Amino acid sequence: MIEYLPWWIGALLLGSIVIGFWFSIGTPLGVSGSWARIVLWKDDKHIEKAEAPFRANPALLQDALMKSTIAHFGEEAVYAALSAHSGNVIPTLATAGRPTLKARVPWTMHAFFLAMLIVGGLLASLITGDGQPHLTFNLGELHAQLFGSGFGYTMTLFFGGALVGFGTQLGGGCTSGHGLSGCARFVPASLIATCAFFGSAVVVSLLLHFFGGGTA
Amino acid sequence: MSAHFIQYLKYGFFGIFMGMTLSLVGFTDFTEVHKMFIFADFRLLLLFAGAVGLSFVGFALLGRNANIAKKTYNSGTIPGSIMFGVGWAITGACPSIALVQLGEGKLAAIFTILGILFGVWAYRKLAAGGMKLDTGICGEA
Repeated sequence: MIEYLPWWIGALLLGSIVIGFWFSIGTPLGVSGSWARIVLWKDDKHIEKAEAPFRANPALLQDALMKSTIAHFGEEAVYAALSAHSGNVIPTLATAGRPTLKARVPWTMHAFFLAMLIVGGLLASLITGDGQPHLTFNLGELHAQLFGSGFGYTMTLFFGGALVGFGTQLGGGCTSGHGLSGCARFVPASLIATCAFFGSAVVVSLLLHFFGGGTA
Repeated sequence: MSAHFIQYLKYGFFGIFMGMTLSLVGFTDFTEVHKMFIFADFRLLLLFAGAVGLSFVGFALLGRNANIAKKTYNSGTIPGSIMFGVGWAITGACPSIALVQLGEGKLAAIFTILGILFGVWAYRKLAAGGMKLDTGICGEA
């Protein structure tokens, strides 16, 4: 049996990653978002092209924002809001300056991040092993007992993976984005999502435990 | 050094750090994760709760004046998360774990990864095709 780190060291490390990632990069950690950016890699070019004029000329962005503000709230409401202030100065623009577009992280950055997760797993296995990569096919004895082997086994993993992929996109996040980054800030949607994915995982695991035929 | 290069270094550092951590604490071990879900072993539960607690303190101390993007609730939050939980219980993998498992040399994780790619792709196809379930996916910056 492999010795794993005690829970409190793991909590310290994982908590440091959540805070460190957000503090140094500026966006909360969220791995399912990186998957989406990789799958949608072709969109980067279109978005870049659409944003280019606004980046080159911030006044265009300001005009477009005003136009959509008027479209949303109606001309009268916008003029009423403006005339409530002295002159024709829009208070937010006067105080906050011109709006700017946030710099966009290219999809290759996300691909690099996911690739480094693989490298992290490799390094960990080299540390705990004898310096040699330890190749196995299945995910351990219990998993093989529950799901068999061969073609059916690989299809089970593919099907389960598809549920993970589809579910995290539909649910708006995963263990890192909802579970860690969201729950730690008491974001209601993240608390609900975490209860939902943890709850369904518990139900399925209990079903597997009692009816799945595993002995480990 | 360009800002771009430094950004790559940061993402790379946290990728490796996170991959190693998830592996060394046993979050990539199906048996350990399964034991967590059937409440036979509370180690990973405590670990997760501890990480959330520490992150709470960190956000409270460092992020008091920061305007951090919050995910919003929508009609896809619960059904999507339920699907994810089912997939997690079957594969032992959430979106980062499948990659770390592959790095550890568990080759079957390739099929989980292919499944995740297919699932994300299928969702985006359906979403673009009029299934109006706009979700605020994390990390889309």
